[in-house]
Amino acid sequence: MMEVTQETREDWRVVTLRGRADSETADRLEEELRSAVQQHPKVAVDLRAVDYISSAGLRAVLQAARAAQGHSDLAFCSLSAAVKKVFDMSGMQHILKIREELPC
Amino acid sequence: MLTMLEEVVLLAVDEKTGRVRSTREFGAAYALVGAVFFDLALARKIDTCAEEIQVIDATPTGNPTLDRVLARMAARPDLKTVSAWIEEMFLLRDDLEGEALKSLTDRGVLRHEHSKLLWVIDVDRFPMVDNKPQQHVKLRLANAILTDDIPDTRDIILLSLADQCGLLGFVLSEVELENRKERIRTLSRIETISRKVTEAIHALDKSIRIAMTKVV
Repeated sequence: MMEVTQETREDWRVVTLRGRADSETADRLEEELRSAVQQHPKVAVDLRAVDYISSAGLRAVLQAARAAQGHSDLAFCSLSAAVKKVFDMSGMQHILKIREELPC
Repeated sequence: MLTMLEEVVLLAVDEKTGRVRSTREFGAAYALVGAVFFDLALARKIDTCAEEIQVIDATPTGNPTLDRVLARMAARPDLKTVSAWIEEMFLLRDDLEGEALKSLTDRGVLRHEHSKLLWVIDVDRFPMVDNKPQQHVKLRLANAILTDDIPDTRDIILLSLADQCGLLGFVLSEVELENRKERIRTLSRIETISRKVTEAIHALDKSIRIAMTKVV
């Protein structure tokens, strides 16, 4: 299960994720993030309440980041311990924009 | 669309001679096992986390090689880690390279020529019938390595497997690969399966070195 909410704060679109990013939720996750980056020049993804991310979830994140290239500033923020562990292991900090806190 | 396994094996075919630059060495065989797992992952049949691998949908994909592996995985819920499954499939592999070559031949990408050298030694060659799929694979790899863009997931996986099989030298020059080695390393470690395949290859290399030292 994954809950996704979106809101606009200042000039950022903030996408908040809660729950598990896995094979069951990966399609929806990718779709939501793609939709956000296609419509907004600045997107911050709040990952503090994501308690599990599998390889399928990671691929969804990567595909969204790929879609954002060139036309949207996509930042992954406030990583939960579970997400941070996987991101560190995968070296995602070399590929994605990661921030300790939300920009707004 | 070709499977990951087929794309890696196709990359190993010399476009001029039809010879297969061998992926049969142990290290590369691990990477072929990894390719099958990636095919299953992209088909949403399995998923992985940092250590574990799980079957999420055991219904067949329609590809005999993938379905054989998937059925075996579904029948062994006691094996949970990616590393354990890599070892399990490595021991049970039935010539993944051969199955991929047959599939590429059936698809009309390659042609199979069988001959005898000195009337004794079997020689198999696979000349290109259609060189576009291999060119496409090489182009995707070159783009993934030479640009700083985030590549498509399939291309990240393909790059990690081609690297583990020692096949990137057939795509770019040594100088280009040397200049981009950090990029290759970064992309190759993103996926759990790639990391575990690399660990398996390193462990194998280490055990071979130890065995050789004892022999000497």
